[in-house]
Amino acid sequence: MTKEAEYAIEVDKLTKRYGDLSAVNDISFTVRKGEVFAFLGPNGAGKTTTVEIIETIRTPTSGNVHLLGMDVTKKKHDIVRRIGVLPQEFSSFDRITVRETVQYYSRLFSGRNTDIDGLIDLVNLKDKTNEQYKNLSGGLRQRVGIAIALVNDPEVVFLDEPTTGLDPRARREVWEVLQGLKKKGKTVFLTTHYMEEAELLADTVAIISKGKIIAMGSPGELVEKNANYPVLTLQSVDEKALEIVRTMGFEQVLSNHKDIKIRVEHTDDVQKILSAIKDAGASYLGLDVRKPNLEEVFLKLTGEALSDGPAGGRGAE
Amino acid sequence: MNPRVVGANLVVKLRCFYREKTAMFFTLAFPIILILVFGTIFMSEDNVSYHLCVQDLDRTKSSAQSIKTLEHNGKFKITKVDPDVNATQYVRDNRVNLVLVIPKGYQRHLMQRAMLSNPNASVTITYIYDPSSSSVTTKMEILNGVFAGINQELSGKPPFIRTVERSILAKKYRFIEFFVPGIIAMAVMTLSLFGTVDSDTELRQKGIIRKLSTTPITRTDWILSNILYQFILAVISAIAMLLVSYAVFDVSLHIDAWLPVFILLDVFAFVGIGMILTRFAKEAQSAAAAANAISYPMMFLSGSFFPIELMPGFLQTFAKTLPLYYLNEGLRASMVFEDNMAALRYAAVIGIFAAVVFVLGILASKWEEGR
Repeated sequence: MTKEAEYAIEVDKLTKRYGDLSAVNDISFTVRKGEVFAFLGPNGAGKTTTVEIIETIRTPTSGNVHLLGMDVTKKKHDIVRRIGVLPQEFSSFDRITVRETVQYYSRLFSGRNTDIDGLIDLVNLKDKTNEQYKNLSGGLRQRVGIAIALVNDPEVVFLDEPTTGLDPRARREVWEVLQGLKKKGKTVFLTTHYMEEAELLADTVAIISKGKIIAMGSPGELVEKNANYPVLTLQSVDEKALEIVRTMGFEQVLSNHKDIKIRVEHTDDVQKILSAIKDAGASYLGLDVRKPNLEEVFLKLTGEALSDGPAGGRGAE
Repeated sequence: MNPRVVGANLVVKLRCFYREKTAMFFTLAFPIILILVFGTIFMSEDNVSYHLCVQDLDRTKSSAQSIKTLEHNGKFKITKVDPDVNATQYVRDNRVNLVLVIPKGYQRHLMQRAMLSNPNASVTITYIYDPSSSSVTTKMEILNGVFAGINQELSGKPPFIRTVERSILAKKYRFIEFFVPGIIAMAVMTLSLFGTVDSDTELRQKGIIRKLSTTPITRTDWILSNILYQFILAVISAIAMLLVSYAVFDVSLHIDAWLPVFILLDVFAFVGIGMILTRFAKEAQSAAAAANAISYPMMFLSGSFFPIELMPGFLQTFAKTLPLYYLNEGLRASMVFEDNMAALRYAAVIGIFAAVVFVLGILASKWEEGR
């Protein structure tokens, strides 16, 4: 199989600078056709800059980017006909209905063979077909955005933070739509700063921080390679329990209000910690022991937390 | 250029406009309101009639005849003041700005002059007036003119200087007929400038431009559909203004091919300026403020509302550097004076200006690289 046939996207030594600021710094990666590739990183890591270069919106400072075998700096006209894009914080014309919006974007391509109703159905907006865009909730708007990213039946779909700002219910609804795309065999390039999203949807995850890719692989590989140890989570601990964990010398990997996550080497360590807490008369409300997830991988690799906590912005309907 | 894409874009823009009822009302109604307000003011000025209070202390046939003469002049509606009241107090109490007092002995002195040719026979008519009133000076000037005519007649000699009025126009035009072309030019300017600035900054802030840049639509398609959209709105607005002007004021204006030509040039010029402003003003508010800073002085200085001859010399020179001046004058040349050569000259000037700013606007508007 040729490289072109195997890979939808090939990025080689890509750099993007704005004056002295390096937004993207010498990154290289490939995306196989038919896979869901997630770019995982905090705000300002360089995700959107990278994806917008691949989408032909921005031009690279240096490096080569090929999409479906075409140079993105030279073949914009051909590339845009074969990709679908949901930009970050997507919005559309306020006074245009869902159907008219999908129809409009379809006509920008060719529109002759677009199954408008089928697309609306695909993103579960059948009952909102004649609703104006301004009357839709955040989750519904994102689904309209996904529908219009698919009007040209693209080979590669770019979704730039499709669930940012959505509440958990709306986010799950968008995930269902994305899982549908995955089943259809579309190549999906997803940027996100939600590790659950990347873990649930992606075949390959690239972790990006400060413009550099610091790890890449399947979610399982990343955990296996970078955080192969159990994590004990104690819920609602008091100050005394917190102090005991510290003095026992265990590495505290995350702390969220009164919950703490502790890296342990063996399951015996769990018993030691719990006994010490009990003996000292300290307390906690609940516990679990499990394998680490991408969030802990990210923390280990970068020293900073990935998620900004549960989103509450744009709500579901 | 792709007609399907241009058409799709045009349909979306027109749908948005049609569904934004408030914006639609103000876009179309504002210039009509201006025409109705200014038209009403200037129509009444064309047929102006002043209220005049007259106190006849002589109470004779001759003094009554003189009052009738004033009435027949057509400029005054006469109110007679009781000869027994104090005229000064009457002005104060009744809030009138002028009482004309015909003195006792008016008829006797008139007879002496007219019948006996006594050159020393004369009367003094008194104006008792409120100087704080703005229209009182005009009233007194008209009265002076009337009395000068009477004096001339009494002298029995033909006047040395006679005057005759000859308009440069075939028909007699009223102010409203000069006003309507100016308002059409101004309304099209406002529509095109603010339409472009508001729409482009809003779409840019919403990220729609960024989304569009990942579709096959080109900047040419986008700009062309915007021009078509603004032109359609401008034509609808101009038709509405003309219909109201014909229906309410029975205007007499010449409509020919120059009207759509000037509307199109107006659209090109101000869409071009709008595109340049949108490029350099990052936020919607600053773009709108910049558009205001350009449009307001142009409205008042380029002769849309009143002739630039009323302004000081340096402002008249400045007015002639403004594109709206050439649109106003071009439309008046075609609609009022029916002067095709003048219309062509004005069209050439505004055409060159429109071409330059439009090209600059296209160069200034960028889709790639985002904000």
